[in-house]
Amino acid sequence: MTLNLSVLTPNRIVWDSEVEEIVLSTNSGQIGILPNHAPIATAVDIGILRIRLNDQWLTMALMGGFARIGNNEITVLVNDAEKGSDIDPQEAQQTLELAEANVKKAEGRRQKIEANLALRRARTRVEAINPIS
Amino acid sequence: MAMAALRREGRRFATPLISPNPTNALRSSLIPSQEPVSSGVRCISTQVVRNRMKSVKNIQKITKAMKMVAASKLRAIQTKTENSRGLWQPFTALLGDTPSVDVKKNVIVTISSDKGLCGGINSTSVKISRAIHKLNSGPEKENKYVVLGEKAKAQLLRDSKKDIELIMTELQKNPLNYTQVSVIADDILKNVEFDALRIVYNKFQSVVAFLPTMSTVLSPEVVEREAEAGGKLGELDSYEVEGAETKAEVLQNLAEFQFSCVMFNAVLENACSEQGARMSAMDSSSRNAGDMLDRLTLTYNRTRQASITTELIEIISGASALEG
Repeated sequence: MTLNLSVLTPNRIVWDSEVEEIVLSTNSGQIGILPNHAPIATAVDIGILRIRLNDQWLTMALMGGFARIGNNEITVLVNDAEKGSDIDPQEAQQTLELAEANVKKAEGRRQKIEANLALRRARTRVEAINPIS
Repeated sequence: MAMAALRREGRRFATPLISPNPTNALRSSLIPSQEPVSSGVRCISTQVVRNRMKSVKNIQKITKAMKMVAASKLRAIQTKTENSRGLWQPFTALLGDTPSVDVKKNVIVTISSDKGLCGGINSTSVKISRAIHKLNSGPEKENKYVVLGEKAKAQLLRDSKKDIELIMTELQKNPLNYTQVSVIADDILKNVEFDALRIVYNKFQSVVAFLPTMSTVLSPEVVEREAEAGGKLGELDSYEVEGAETKAEVLQNLAEFQFSCVMFNAVLENACSEQGARMSAMDSSSRNAGDMLDRLTLTYNRTRQASITTELIEIISGASALEG
């Protein structure tokens, strides 16, 4: 039994092929998905998606969205997604530092929430480059 | 400015060309080849025809340029549209597109363009919206409009002003992107109460074919009710729902996400149709201007020839009178 994964963003299709196993970060923690998983609909948090393909783990940074799993088809709809290998490490690191500085500077509730979200996004991108395995 | 000029010209052409029996010399000269210029009569100055020819030529230039602009814009937006289609299809697979679900508060989101000269796409979406409004009206039912785009606003304000909840225009000032559309979607969700959102837009089939389409987005409560009742949405119940404290919360998030995705696709489809429609409209009007120019050239040459002939006859007869 094979598992089909498609990762979609509003602007492009990031991934559309078979995989062996994925680990998805949902709002209530990470879940691993193997073939013949029970149907499930879940929100996707800002976090990394790990994909096992030919016994190698790939990573992808997901920026929050929604996933549907059923019938060996996984559809992940996210606001934005980037493959770990496509991210420029230097640029990601810089963004992270900038985001950290912004969190300290942020005033007011709205700004704080936005800065925190930006920080989480930046952190996810850095994590996607050097996955903790 | 170009549009205003075009409209003005259009009106000027319209009257003389369709009037069945012209009343004055100026008008009759503009009807090409139907009434031969009676010989011996000094015709109206060719200046009028020449001016008309010049203006037709200018209009043709404008419409040609507009066609080119539309064509190049269309190419860019078409790829975007095709990419965005993948985004709402999974939602349709999960939640279904259920136009038949009967609910109390309908909100019709009419999507149109800000600029005109693009065929009938705006009036189609307005017509469809009105039809849906009528179809869903009844006792204890509420229908509201949310209008996107200048053109539908102008048409709907005329007769359904009291039903319009929200108007947004100048969508396409910047290139369309998902962030922008999701902000708009958020605005609509926050300001409008609904059980079902019905999004009306023109779906892009090809450069000459646009399908007026309605997408339905149900509110989370309705989704839950329908899922429990079975039917088309019953499939949703077979999914385990994860990711938040309660199922309602997930459904709420899901509905919001679905709406912004569907909106994104709808806005892109409509923009794509707009460019396509404008391209074909401008193409036919440049062709029309070409035809008109041909006819005018014919008339002009004939008039010129006639006046030359008359002058020659005058000279010759004058000379022979002197000799005799």
